[in-house]
Amino acid sequence: MKAVVFDGVVLGLQFGLLGVGLTVVYGLGGVLNLAHGQLAVLGAMVAALRLDAGASVGVAVLTGLAAAGAIGLLLDRTLLRPVYRRRGEPRVLLGLLLMLGVAFVIDGVLGWRYPIEALRVRIAGAPIDVLGVGMRRGSLLASAIALGVGAVLVAFLRFTTAGKAVRSVIEDEVGAQLCGINPATVRALVLGLSAVLAALVAVTRSMTAPVTVDAGIDLTILALIVAVVGGLGSVSGAFAAGVLLGIVNTVSAHYIGSYVTTIVLLGAAALTIVARPSGLLGRGQE
Amino acid sequence: MLDVVGLSAGYLGQDVVHDVSFTVTESDAVAVIGSNGAGKTTLFRAICGLLRASAGTVRFDGVPIGRRRAHAVARLGLAYVPADRHLFPNMSVAENLDLGAYPRRPRKERRDLVLDLFPRLAERHRQAAGTLSGGEQQMLTVGRALMSNPRLLLLDEPTTGLAPKLAAEAYAALAALHDQGLTILVAEQQVPLALELADRGYVLDDGRLQISGSSAELAESPVVQRAYLGIL
Repeated sequence: MKAVVFDGVVLGLQFGLLGVGLTVVYGLGGVLNLAHGQLAVLGAMVAALRLDAGASVGVAVLTGLAAAGAIGLLLDRTLLRPVYRRRGEPRVLLGLLLMLGVAFVIDGVLGWRYPIEALRVRIAGAPIDVLGVGMRRGSLLASAIALGVGAVLVAFLRFTTAGKAVRSVIEDEVGAQLCGINPATVRALVLGLSAVLAALVAVTRSMTAPVTVDAGIDLTILALIVAVVGGLGSVSGAFAAGVLLGIVNTVSAHYIGSYVTTIVLLGAAALTIVARPSGLLGRGQE
Repeated sequence: MLDVVGLSAGYLGQDVVHDVSFTVTESDAVAVIGSNGAGKTTLFRAICGLLRASAGTVRFDGVPIGRRRAHAVARLGLAYVPADRHLFPNMSVAENLDLGAYPRRPRKERRDLVLDLFPRLAERHRQAAGTLSGGEQQMLTVGRALMSNPRLLLLDEPTTGLAPKLAAEAYAALAALHDQGLTILVAEQQVPLALELADRGYVLDDGRLQISGSSAELAESPVVQRAYLGIL
């Protein structure tokens, strides 16, 4: 049982990092990025192709992250421009549909060009004992990266001027403009950053199991569930939800079967909406 | 400092403000008087870039700003205090103030100046802006605008929702800023307060500037007396 829970925490930290990007992008501009997982896979496939071409793991991974970030930035500056010109419901719906289209395009192109490509980042070495459970080095490294990046992210948002500017746009776009903050710049940078984080999750996932070219939809759904359970727009909520859902995931996979995990996770998300509409750590009226 | 010429603006193709022209010179305090729905907010939103004007030009220090977005106008040193505040409710008072100085780091002297002006904000430094009372939120909105060390302060009904005593205090603070040389343009329904602060004023009625003059002249004007000062 302990090993199962530990695996759940490992998985959950990565879920958290996956959900964070989706949640912040939604909070900023009302765009529910349904291509989140596909951008992650895109980064992973660029890294895999670089690895195939003989690049070192570090170079390959950095190239993959940069590619995902660049595409995210580009999408914001082009496809999403008409979205941000609208307000309220039309903005949410148009953003959702366009990003769903992007998801299909990325899935289609990658599946057509590289149907059997997969990213594997092997972390060598014997398992390390953690409280009596032998943990694979890949799992530990993946968790360390997720925790480290998550901490940097929280610190960035809380303490830096740029981070406060991001939060101010989430809180009140007009107020931010009156302070001299350009919401369009903030949104573009954050969508780029969220794509980088998503690709990073694909990379850390590949440390324990291969990430295949068709993994995008699963990652998108996971990110969506994490963001909903954590409360859309809440960073700490996304991490809390990630860990919780990670444990739910491994426990249900271990005791019931992996085929039901997605259903169990969706059930958990639905339950959260009923019980706490603003998310685990939600402040009620946000 | 601020030159507005032939400005028309409105919503959904329907102008609310028609052909408005006026100027604000450096170190002036100017009042725009008008009742609810006269177009004061529309006029101010068009000046500060939150609303695209349908006609006319706006120049700030000779620079045309009519086509600029609100964040770019703010960076030029034109700070707008909207009647509906637009604070960041879940962020602390300190964070709200710090963001007023964006993109620079907030200066200590500047923050001290603002907190001297509004001591209540110092007491509530760590509190979330959304939990402040209406009067305190109004102080915070003005304080946030002042953090950027603006050269022109636009205030849209700074006394909205304030008890008379607080409204008088708010205007005392504005008068102190004006004495230090800050240029102020204020839209107001509470005419006596506005005319006491301002050197000059304009009356905006049904989206058009009807009367202009020194504060003393406006206070004497029969139209102003009847419509805004309650003198028959």
